[in-house]
Amino acid sequence: MIEYAVFFFFAAIAVIFAFVVILHRNPVVSALSLVASLFALAVMYVLLEAPFVAALQVIIYAGAIMVLFLFVIMLLNLQKRPEEPTRPVQQFVGYLGSAAFGIGLIYYLSKYAVMELPTEPFVADARTVGIRLFDAYLFPFEMVSILLLAAIVGALILSGRAVGERAEIGAEVTK
Amino acid sequence: MIPTQWFLILSAILFTLGVCGVLTRKNGITIFMSIELMVNAVNLTFLAYARQFHQLHGLIFVFFVMAIAAAEAAVGLAIFISLFHHRETIDVDEANLMRW
Repeated sequence: MIEYAVFFFFAAIAVIFAFVVILHRNPVVSALSLVASLFALAVMYVLLEAPFVAALQVIIYAGAIMVLFLFVIMLLNLQKRPEEPTRPVQQFVGYLGSAAFGIGLIYYLSKYAVMELPTEPFVADARTVGIRLFDAYLFPFEMVSILLLAAIVGALILSGRAVGERAEIGAEVTK
Repeated sequence: MIPTQWFLILSAILFTLGVCGVLTRKNGITIFMSIELMVNAVNLTFLAYARQFHQLHGLIFVFFVMAIAAAEAAVGLAIFISLFHHRETIDVDEANLMRW
């Protein structure tokens, strides 16, 4: 019974803060609401018997990725420039289309996705996940490290100074 | 235990909100946050099905999705910083350099 109460409470938090994310004009408020929504989703992961993934969700998403977002918002000084509404027709079509998509998806899920729960419990702790990760998924795991390296290099090149400017700085340093 | 279907419906609601944000907002960073919302909705679906079918594959996919989301956020935000240096805005309507 308490399980259901927790589910509904945190589901409501996740959905309400997701609404704030997409509706608020100030990107700082959006980012902080997204953090709250991700925390509520971490509670969902605990309810799904995956506590390790819940911990990772809090550390990686709410900790690392959202800090990156907030840093960029502060760096670009975006909190003082709210976006002005233009193109009302396209925006209306966007709301309408996504509402139709959502209603269709929820209708389909509530009608056809009725499943019986398995009887024995399923425990996905760090040990079982780690053994499987370094056993069957070793090659994709190593590929992810190369992907992250490529992301680091790409981010440095994209956000750094222009190439000519960098060469000038290099010349000054070597003098 | 809570039925799997309810988690799927919650995930559908969050995914729809993410789609709505991508389609209606113009601020590039808010669009990025909507994409993160969609990624998290899909993660929730993966975990719900992992519990339903007693498979660890869903859990491991969640790790890969998290790693890819981190890489995507890093590169995407770098693109927006670069755009801001060139155009003084991150409005995606203004980023029309490659439009024919």
